[in-house]
Amino acid sequence: MIKRLAALLLLGMATTVAYASPASAHGERSQEAFLRMRTIGWTDVVFSGGQRHAQGDIVIAQGEKFTIKGVAKLMNTWPDTLAKGLPRIGYINIATQGPCVAMLERKINGVSTPSRIEITKGNYYSFEETLMGRRVGRWHVHPTFAVKGAGTLLGPGQWIRVTPHAFSSPVKLYNGKTINLENYHLVSVWTIQVIGFLLGLIWIFWWTWWGKTAKGNPRRTVTNPAVTLAIPLNDDGIAVGLNTKKDHRVVNIIALATALFLLIGWIWQASAFPVKIPQQVVEYEPPKTDLDTAPTLATVDARSAKYDYQAKALRLQVETKNVSSSPIQLSQFVTSTLTFDNPSSGSTAYGPYQDTLKLSPSGTIQPGQTATLTIDLPGSRFNDEHLLPTGESQLVIAGLLVFKDASGNKSSAEMEEPLQPHYIS
Amino acid sequence: MTTTEEQLEQAQQFERLKVLVDKPYRYIDRKWDAVFWVSAAFIVGAACDITKLLFAGDWDFWTDWKDRIWWPILTPFALVIIGSALQYIQWLAWRMPTGMTYTAICLWPLATLGRWVQWGNFVHYPMNFVWPTTMVPAGIFADWVLFKTKSFILTSVVGSAVFAFGWWVSNYVMIAPYLQPAQWMDRILTVSDIQGIEFIRSQTPEYLRIVEHGTLRSFLGETQYVSLVFGATVTIAGYWIGQFIGRMLAIWPIGRFMKKW
Repeated sequence: MIKRLAALLLLGMATTVAYASPASAHGERSQEAFLRMRTIGWTDVVFSGGQRHAQGDIVIAQGEKFTIKGVAKLMNTWPDTLAKGLPRIGYINIATQGPCVAMLERKINGVSTPSRIEITKGNYYSFEETLMGRRVGRWHVHPTFAVKGAGTLLGPGQWIRVTPHAFSSPVKLYNGKTINLENYHLVSVWTIQVIGFLLGLIWIFWWTWWGKTAKGNPRRTVTNPAVTLAIPLNDDGIAVGLNTKKDHRVVNIIALATALFLLIGWIWQASAFPVKIPQQVVEYEPPKTDLDTAPTLATVDARSAKYDYQAKALRLQVETKNVSSSPIQLSQFVTSTLTFDNPSSGSTAYGPYQDTLKLSPSGTIQPGQTATLTIDLPGSRFNDEHLLPTGESQLVIAGLLVFKDASGNKSSAEMEEPLQPHYIS
Repeated sequence: MTTTEEQLEQAQQFERLKVLVDKPYRYIDRKWDAVFWVSAAFIVGAACDITKLLFAGDWDFWTDWKDRIWWPILTPFALVIIGSALQYIQWLAWRMPTGMTYTAICLWPLATLGRWVQWGNFVHYPMNFVWPTTMVPAGIFADWVLFKTKSFILTSVVGSAVFAFGWWVSNYVMIAPYLQPAQWMDRILTVSDIQGIEFIRSQTPEYLRIVEHGTLRSFLGETQYVSLVFGATVTIAGYWIGQFIGRMLAIWPIGRFMKKW
């Protein structure tokens, strides 16, 4: 009976392993929707470079570069539950399955940025990341914005297909020498480690196999407690023949050889690498962009956000006032990874994270005019991205409304409204 | 009992022990010794690796974490613990000063194989970015101190210091090429910093890196050596944690069931 139960248990465990599908993308959907919508607004995210595959993938070779550009707004609707409501340190990076692509350059607001930045709520961070194909395969790559004390928020992703090609990761040192980061000094690291390991093996082999007792017999291990437990702990057993003066000589030689090995290594590194500096911590506040100082085109006041389960439609009603001197039109609604374009404004949806919205009234808003916009969004996209916060602790829809004026100037306004998931009459 | 009688009894005891040292056992030959040393290697290596990963994991792991403050303080502390326990066990049971070195040679292939298989082959991080530190030379020095002093107290003080310094020298020689400055992204960074940025770690934003940031202090730029001395001190504490594990968790429970002559 017990054997049958054990066999069944093993079989059950085996089936879970056999049917487990690989996890390779879209983990951002497991983050809570209301947090993703209220934190970072991703606009104008574009992947460029390489060739476009029929399925929409970008195909690049190992060593070939591609670029991710976009704008991340650190929204004023940032929740109090993250970083105590005051995000201060951020890191713009990418999310993918390990180092399948390599980061070559990262510019934030036009400035090269190797590591972390000081951030402020309400600011825009225009990023441009230059990456290189590194590992052959098909990988999902997202731009990310990590905030200290909160976590990492992901922007819209793109499948990247890396094909085989010879490549290297060149870096120029202070002395003008160019090295390949993939294998720089790997041989010396392994050599030092292996020599050290061999010295340790010699030590152990002396004590367990080669060494002899006072009477010249092979030294034992398992049967020694019969002797060792009968002599004091600070007795090395020379008097009873466990160890010998030869052991002292041998250990001195091995210790000396080890010290000599380290001395040679030290002299080598001091002469081969005369200039060394400690690891660098780079942190600064990026300069403001034009987006931070651009005149506001509209102010918004969200009135309702209703979700129709049957029609799978999300309807937003937003009172919008044109505070500029030019007619404006709603161009996009952006929330987390999704962008919804208004076709009548000239915006075109492309890519897997974009779709169209229906706007009523669809025309422009004149200067000084206030209009109540009804924005219908396809609920299926929210479902797919797990961006409907039903079942979460905050039923909130948040995002950026991007307006465009007659000259093509853009500005965005944040909106945040409790979600009412009931039927539209 | 008079002194002469005590001396006689002790001499007789020594003679009996001398015979026991070389007593041939019919069924417990040297193959048992080999089986014991080889099979224990997996447990010892795993125990040391887990301890190291729990206390000093990232510092042992990435070149851009191997800085001059946290790395020399935390890593020798983490590594000495299991080695110290093994030193006690192996000295008590066999009078062999092998505990620290044995732990080191068990740890190295396990850690290296793990890095190579998991991080090199599976995820494709370059091995010159994720190489593990070595404690073998340091272990040799610590075992040498035990054999010479025959005292765990002296080994804890002198041996731990020698262990920490020996560990740092043997690993600094390996990190040295990666501390060279390079111009990258309009900044001067070390080669290790560039490795950390270029080889993507999606869930490890750079601000999580615990390395030297700089504080108001008066070390005249000799931060490295002050950290070494402090690391040696902390290693003494680690040594006694290991002694506690060896004495209270390993030997004492066994001693309740073993016959003592």
